Amino acid sequence: MTRQTWVWRRAVPLAVVAAGCLIAGGAPSAFARDKAMPAPDWAVAAAKTPTPTTVGDAAAVVLFDEYLITIDEQNHAVERERIAVRILKPQGRSYSHCSIAYDTDEKLNYFRSWTFTPKGKQFQAMDSDFTDQGAYSAPVLQFTERIRTVKPPASDPGAVVACETEQHLRPYMNEEEWEIQAPIPIVDEALELALPAGGHYADSWRKYAAVKPVETEASHLRWEIKAMPALDLENIDYTPAWAALAARMSVKWGDLAVKGTDNQWRALGLWQKQLEEHRADPTAEITAKALELTAGAPDFYTKLSRITDYVQKNIRYFVVERGIGGWQAHWAADIYRNQYGDCKDKATLLIAMLQAVGIRAHYLHVDSRRGVIDPAEPSLVGNHMITAIELPDGENDPRLVARVKAASSKTMLIFDPTDEETPVGLTRAALQGAWGNLENGADSQVLEMPVLPPETAGLSRTGNFTLTADGTLSGDVAEVFRGDDATNERWFIKDNDAKEIHQDLETGLGADFSSLTFKGFEFHDTGDLAKPLDLDLHLSDANYARPAGSLLLLRPRVMGSHVRAVNDVMDGKPRAYAIEIGHPGKWRDSFDIAVPPGYVVDETPDPEDVDVDFASYKSAVSVKGNLLHYEREYVVRQVEIPPAKAADFRRLENAILTDEKGAAVLKKQ
Amino acid sequence: MLGRKISFSVVLSLAIVSPALVRAQYQQPTSEELKMTSDPKAPGAAAVYLDVEEVADDPVHYQSFYARIKVLGEKGKELATVEVPYVKGYNKIHDIKARTIHADGTVIPLVGKPEDLLVVKNGDTQVGKMVFTLPSVEVGSILEYKYQLDYDDHHFSSPMWEIQRPYPVLKAHYQFRPFSTFQPKGASGAIPTSSYLIDSKGRRVNSLIWWAKLPDGVKVQTDAGGHYTVDVTDIPATPDEEWMPPIDSVLYRVLFYYKSASSAQDFWTGEAKDWSKDVDRFAEQSSAIHQAVNGLIAPTDSEMVKAQKLYTAVEALDNTDYSRRKSESEMKQLKLKEARHAEDTWKQKSGDSEDIAMLYLAMARAAGLKAYAMKVVSRSRGVFDVSYMDMDQLNDTVILLAIDGKGVMVDPGEKMAPFGTMNWRHSDAGGLRQSDTGPGYDKTPMQPYTANVTIRSGDITLDDHGGMTGNIRIVMTGQEALRWRQAALRSDETEVKKQFNEELAAIVPQGVEAHVDHFIGLGGDPDASLMAVVTTHGALGTATSKRLLLPGFFFEARGHAPFVGQEKRLEPVDMHYGDRVSDEFTYHLPAGMAVEGAPTDTSIPWTGHAVCITKTVSTPGRVVIARSLARAFTEAKPNDYEALRGFYQKVAAADQQELVLHDAAPAAKGN
Repeated sequence: MTRQTWVWRRAVPLAVVAAGCLIAGGAPSAFARDKAMPAPDWAVAAAKTPTPTTVGDAAAVVLFDEYLITIDEQNHAVERERIAVRILKPQGRSYSHCSIAYDTDEKLNYFRSWTFTPKGKQFQAMDSDFTDQGAYSAPVLQFTERIRTVKPPASDPGAVVACETEQHLRPYMNEEEWEIQAPIPIVDEALELALPAGGHYADSWRKYAAVKPVETEASHLRWEIKAMPALDLENIDYTPAWAALAARMSVKWGDLAVKGTDNQWRALGLWQKQLEEHRADPTAEITAKALELTAGAPDFYTKLSRITDYVQKNIRYFVVERGIGGWQAHWAADIYRNQYGDCKDKATLLIAMLQAVGIRAHYLHVDSRRGVIDPAEPSLVGNHMITAIELPDGENDPRLVARVKAASSKTMLIFDPTDEETPVGLTRAALQGAWGNLENGADSQVLEMPVLPPETAGLSRTGNFTLTADGTLSGDVAEVFRGDDATNERWFIKDNDAKEIHQDLETGLGADFSSLTFKGFEFHDTGDLAKPLDLDLHLSDANYARPAGSLLLLRPRVMGSHVRAVNDVMDGKPRAYAIEIGHPGKWRDSFDIAVPPGYVVDETPDPEDVDVDFASYKSAVSVKGNLLHYEREYVVRQVEIPPAKAADFRRLENAILTDEKGAAVLKKQ
Repeated sequence: MLGRKISFSVVLSLAIVSPALVRAQYQQPTSEELKMTSDPKAPGAAAVYLDVEEVADDPVHYQSFYARIKVLGEKGKELATVEVPYVKGYNKIHDIKARTIHADGTVIPLVGKPEDLLVVKNGDTQVGKMVFTLPSVEVGSILEYKYQLDYDDHHFSSPMWEIQRPYPVLKAHYQFRPFSTFQPKGASGAIPTSSYLIDSKGRRVNSLIWWAKLPDGVKVQTDAGGHYTVDVTDIPATPDEEWMPPIDSVLYRVLFYYKSASSAQDFWTGEAKDWSKDVDRFAEQSSAIHQAVNGLIAPTDSEMVKAQKLYTAVEALDNTDYSRRKSESEMKQLKLKEARHAEDTWKQKSGDSEDIAMLYLAMARAAGLKAYAMKVVSRSRGVFDVSYMDMDQLNDTVILLAIDGKGVMVDPGEKMAPFGTMNWRHSDAGGLRQSDTGPGYDKTPMQPYTANVTIRSGDITLDDHGGMTGNIRIVMTGQEALRWRQAALRSDETEVKKQFNEELAAIVPQGVEAHVDHFIGLGGDPDASLMAVVTTHGALGTATSKRLLLPGFFFEARGHAPFVGQEKRLEPVDMHYGDRVSDEFTYHLPAGMAVEGAPTDTSIPWTGHAVCITKTVSTPGRVVIARSLARAFTEAKPNDYEALRGFYQKVAAADQQELVLHDAAPAAKGN
């Protein structure tokens, strides 16, 4: 129902299956080629379903969506899906483009589609209406997986499009994810599970109360859901990812069908372990390299960082994932020889090298969209593989911040070898506060990754400027980035050439300087991840201070903004979802502006001082001689806040907005 | 790059021989190349192509590609992954060889097998790609790779040399040896062949022609060996500037193609005749067309009224470019056929933009009007170049009417375009047109800026903390009205409101929200103006202890003036169409406050091109601030850039003026 692949690299989203989540899974090859088949009874019946009055403004509505998963004695599964969608608006057509993904280790038995027009005419999609495309994410991340999509005939508003597919699922998979919610409403949906005699299953639910199945016949279960509302986040800002809020159910069979949440996580960890068995065994070459790197290391941190640094910097991210390769890493020896691989591969080589020098590390299956992995719903959902490194008892190096205690009582350091720009000891914001599935044999568990303290990230900015009577501001700014902010800058430098960096910085500065002349910039300490990253900027703005009669008006907060445009919250509308507030950190600005001769500061904005538990903001403007001095500090302590704190958030944002818009008035003497 | 395979067929067999081929061999890097850390001609470039070689050799049915790349920065590593597309059943990619050479001279060969992946498959057409990545790539590495593409005896290649690339090219060599028939005059040792090429109209093709945009001093060369070659050095990276003309019109490229013409004049004369015949055949005034026309117009109607009535009728048809094009299977199941004549479109009440334009032509002629078709380039996609002999340059059809001795250009394929209004893509656009004296080249007229007017009127009430509420009426005529009306055809009004709100959000002052309450005329009469009624509220100003500070120009507070940040310009500017945007905002002041400072009245001209005028009128309790920017130009050459930028710099400076209110109470007391 959903195809999951461990492929996350930075913030690159993976959208393997096009046209949303209405149809899932799949592999083709045999399907009726232009063989006319009358629409089946289920489709005819579904097309007669009236559009509920509750659909509101939806562009389309799913009238019927039913899965049947049939498991054989070897625990191999065949999945059939029947879906009918009514198009309500022109832009709703895209919801009728059913699609199905398939790979080298799957087989699509058939894929058919019919359209029922409002006038009662029936059409059937023919061979020419289907297109196969290779799944694609980026040049460095490619797949043998293909996606077959139908562009159904007569798919106009009012029409109902019905699709039916059947495919053999990957033989090594014993779990399917039933995505019971979509961006459009669903009238009627069901999942049927046909188990072999004596077979058993386990189900778990998230964002929806568990539904009890009906045993329609021996070992044949059916779950039904009616009137599922749409999850439409289009006009709601700063929410968690759509997939982190959507309702879903995981159904497991075979070895994964164990009772109890913890046991299910353990079973998933064991499944993963068996898949990666011996893949991370160090070869002689790997061991020799690891020993060479760590020779003479005076302490644990040095030993560890030399290896993490090697894998981060030398193993280039590139992979073509073939079938099981979406789940299973290459052998460590191959990765080491090729010097490239995907996230699983980088994790595998790291585990191997660490093992060679006596440090244990484990796979940690995560998702770059915080909240998608839910401890209450054990499943294989996730899009990225990182590592959890066991810290020796008593190892308290203050640089190793991203640590968490596992149920085994071992302290684990969370580290992502794919993230080439975050030093060992820290974790990217996207993973902070998220959950992952720790693969550690019998000690496998779901693990919450830490939210780091504000001191680990942020930006300190110091600027010295001179203002002339014609309104021109000139000066230099020194910026010091730490933690996640430094990581972002380092990725930015890595992904762009000098011209692009210049343009991008210039565009960013353009938000604060309408007539900018960007004179230049220098980065310092870009390569050493353990150090903050410095950036010096040199600029001027010919229209910075705005004349108004005999006055000159200027913004003491020269540059940078912390405002988040969360319109629904700022308007006082009820908020149903958490508010994403970025990542913990401290951001400080300190600017001095020399006022032009002949002018005096007549007025300055009032100071701001707000402290809510998840963040604080403080600013002040002062005058000393001919210098106008602005100072502020913004501290964030969380990654997201519950909707109940919307009022506090509004108070904080109002203070920031007021301060950022604040103007000083200069008067001619 | 892969060559384009032309769709012509080759008749008879080819005599296959094995000439001595010049295929690129690996090169030993020089010590300078190994040590190189930057390219002085392209400072900051993350990579440069040291060498590129593309060879196409039709007598032996292969093309080869060779590249040597120096990685100078992290981003340049992206060139280590290579994708080679091919058409299954037509091409085969083989002999992929690659190696990485580190700065210390260490050589690491590619040992892995390239992956053969699907790009797209529809029916019997399948495009695949071979993908490989070079091993052990570092900043400082030289990436070197080559591959060959083979094709069968029945294909002539027509190479397309994309000389300008995303990274600078230090040296490149391109070579093409066609079949002997098409080799340069005087070529010796041409391989004899009894094959020849016919085009889709059954004519024997006699010429190999090329179109080239190359740096000064560089030409396509020929030699006695039957080759066409181009050698270039120091080619800059693909330009990327705001408001550029279509990218294909500015890149260095050479395109080969086969034609039955020896000169551009011959080619276009021939093509124009054929095209015009096809047009007349499609736009045949059958009895069905006459019958339809007679039902739509009255004999007493003037020519103009007839033209307008027919225009309204064809505009009302289902234009599938804005709804949905029926698939082949749907047409089959509906027992419909592709429209071959205008009457098919009329009977089906549906067609694409081309069908509808041609239907209009047929109907206009049936009504006794003088009407001609004109096939034009879409200016969003290219610039018509007579020297490039390819009808594919021309994308869309517009119709020229001669009414009462005056020419009227109409764009019936543009749904919701008022009679006489062209989409900007079709104005000032070159192409072929019919006329009384036969078909020939022409250019559609440029739209006057007065045809595209947006008037934004705001009525804003301020409180003494800088908060505001109000409404704005945005009245659009011309291109903006057309754009939003066409958006409403592809989605519904709710979706259009969302899109409109997103655009508003980017231009209203920070802290202010603006939302469309409703549209007037969105789906209605295209001849009428379109109005968006917008409500707005938020924190517009900043209050100090004595004053209230507000942006002087509501929609300009964020500083959107183009070109201000770009000092030098390499490519021409293309701003699509001229227009006038006028704002008039009335601010109702908080009680007791008066104007202390306000935007001054200004007039910023760029003579003959544009002008920006602002005016402020203050009365007790009220300030009206008006701004109007009229831009009569659409295109500017790099030579004009300094003047253009100077104009926008002055506009940007004027736009930053503020409105300052102060507490008027003490003055009222006469203190």
